[in-house]
Amino acid sequence: MKRIALAALALLVVSMASAQTLTVWVWDINKPALESTIGSFVEMHPGVEVVVEDLGNQNVYDRGLAGCAAGGLDLPDVYLVENNEAQVFWAQFPDCFTDLRTLGGEELLPLFPDFKWAELTEGEQIFAVPYDSGPTAIFYRRDLYEAAGVDPAEIATWDDFAEAGTAMNEAFDGTVKMGTISKGGDDEWFRMLANQADCFYFDEEGTEITVNQPGCVQAMETMKMLWDASVLHPGGWVEQIQFIQNDAAASAFFGSWYSGTIIAEAPDQTGQWGVYLTPAQTEGGVRASNLGGSALAIPASSDNPELAYDFVVNALADEENQLRILFDYGLTPSLLSLQGDPALETGVEFFGDQPIWDLILGTLGDVPAVSGTQFFQEARNVMIVVVNDYLDGRFDSAQEALDQAARQIASSTGLPIAE
Amino acid sequence: MSQARPARPARRRRTDLTPYWFLLPFFAFFAIFWIYPIAYSFVLSFLNTRSRPWTLEWGFNWGRLVRDEFFWNALGNTMTILVVQVPIMLAFATLLAVAFGSDLLRFKGFFRFAFFAPLVLGAVPYSAVFRLIFNDQFGILNYALTSIGLPSVPWLFENVPAMVTIMIAMTWRWTGYNAVILLSGLQSIPLTLYEAAKIDGAGPLQQFFGITLPLLRPVLLFCFVLSTIGTLQLFTEPWLITTTGPGNATETLVTYLYKTGFRSFNFGYASAIAYTVAIIAAAFSLIQIRLVGGREVQR
Repeated sequence: MKRIALAALALLVVSMASAQTLTVWVWDINKPALESTIGSFVEMHPGVEVVVEDLGNQNVYDRGLAGCAAGGLDLPDVYLVENNEAQVFWAQFPDCFTDLRTLGGEELLPLFPDFKWAELTEGEQIFAVPYDSGPTAIFYRRDLYEAAGVDPAEIATWDDFAEAGTAMNEAFDGTVKMGTISKGGDDEWFRMLANQADCFYFDEEGTEITVNQPGCVQAMETMKMLWDASVLHPGGWVEQIQFIQNDAAASAFFGSWYSGTIIAEAPDQTGQWGVYLTPAQTEGGVRASNLGGSALAIPASSDNPELAYDFVVNALADEENQLRILFDYGLTPSLLSLQGDPALETGVEFFGDQPIWDLILGTLGDVPAVSGTQFFQEARNVMIVVVNDYLDGRFDSAQEALDQAARQIASSTGLPIAE
Repeated sequence: MSQARPARPARRRRTDLTPYWFLLPFFAFFAIFWIYPIAYSFVLSFLNTRSRPWTLEWGFNWGRLVRDEFFWNALGNTMTILVVQVPIMLAFATLLAVAFGSDLLRFKGFFRFAFFAPLVLGAVPYSAVFRLIFNDQFGILNYALTSIGLPSVPWLFENVPAMVTIMIAMTWRWTGYNAVILLSGLQSIPLTLYEAAKIDGAGPLQQFFGITLPLLRPVLLFCFVLSTIGTLQLFTEPWLITTTGPGNATETLVTYLYKTGFRSFNFGYASAIAYTVAIIAAAFSLIQIRLVGGREVQR
């Protein structure tokens, strides 16, 4: 009898707890970042417990897809998704996530830039709220630039960057290069440069293939120019870190989130780093683009969608929380109201007390919108190959390379090639 | 007939069924986890699964397979490894097995262990170490090459060197394993044959080609079939060492299958690729058994 009573009590406690517990699935640095917002959330909803679980990037994606494929089993209340991969979920499992409009999500639309929403909405439906962005910039080593006599303030275009690279090669006999390009492993450089030139694999609606349009051709030519000038090391993610740690890379071109990686991997280089804006592809051209970024979604299977929504809004649309996430964890907020915020003018010690966030966030409004579409991976797999073949000189021109890429993407996605 | 003697056949039938009841759990598992996926992926290969909703289009995936340059590239890469790396590895393994069996070799146990050890190592650390060895700038291999006056090679960033890297890594990992299998075959060859050959005046080379190699044929065939199937399923090395690059220079059938299925979620096309891999593996095994093993069976 006693045992039954105990069991009943336990059951009661468990069911009470589960009614007031929110689980959040994230990866890496997002765990402490989101945990830092729990305090202010619990003030609004006393008694609610929030559990943030770090499953690792790939695992969040894999388990999310498995859960959706199983009709919404074993999913958390709040789910972190990468922007580029988001549309795979909306397309393959349109019923797996809550349309945030049903929770009042339209109030969030004006708070974030359009390029972030492009991949998070389907028609009228809103499936996720923008979290961090990846506005690109050049991270550079002050000491190495100085030793080579390169002034970052004078690098306004990629031609200037190549010229500085030649000076770098001469100063260090070729052992120190201006940067690292993932040759044949990923096409990040292409995506960053193409985004800068307002071009992408697909058009903004994700209905046509635009990878052979002029902006993308320009991106390819810029890349080839840099590669042929031998100012870049070839190398993947791991190699780039090795180059940085061994003083063999004088700069890195990536999304703003890479600042956290540099700080973590080369802590002894404090004060030696700095940031300048992405060089333009033509004189006076755009000096902004974006790579990566993520968003928070609410699975339709959540028992507490309203609570989950409040958690998301408090974490992502609250200026105080977003500023802390930026300064403590290096994740760039997408929140537009933070642009021009006086707090951003605070210098960052690792970057020689330069107020880098003011500089980087200032570019957010200039980033052209793209749509990763549900075919992002197909197109990426094609472009990794075509970029590599083009850099190796197996195509006569960038246009020829991209025309072939467009045909291959068309054959694997079934989308038409834009005229 | 059954009316005449109803009892006995019924009882016999019951006893005949008993073992199957005991086996039922296995058959149930087998049906759910083997038969069903095999059958379902066959069905999937006829569906257009590029996006929802999935639709039945008989020739959609199979037609794409014929025209898909990326698939042919993956097939070509896999065949290159099969034709180049497998024979080289098995030749090494045969020589190693002879050395392991030779009376001239001391510390046999140590050497056998040393050459088998790569297999015990986890695939991920092994791949990470190879990535370091073949590192463009800081790798020990390029350091060694330049220190003797040879040019350094961009192992991981150009097409042919990347393929060579994969082959070297695979040979390092699997030669010892095959050598141990071959050694067991070697030990089953009666020593009297060698004694007789010696009395007849045959030298070591003649003994090797006249006795060792012909009698090793069934074991060699076994190694060939295993290596062929292993190569057709090759995933670890290109995925972790070269990330199937540069571009798709080291893409194999199975890395392409994985990308199609679990990155692009095109399960129909992935199923068609999977069936192709299985058919090729079966065909190769049959050919090899016919070519090498057939005579053995007839004898």
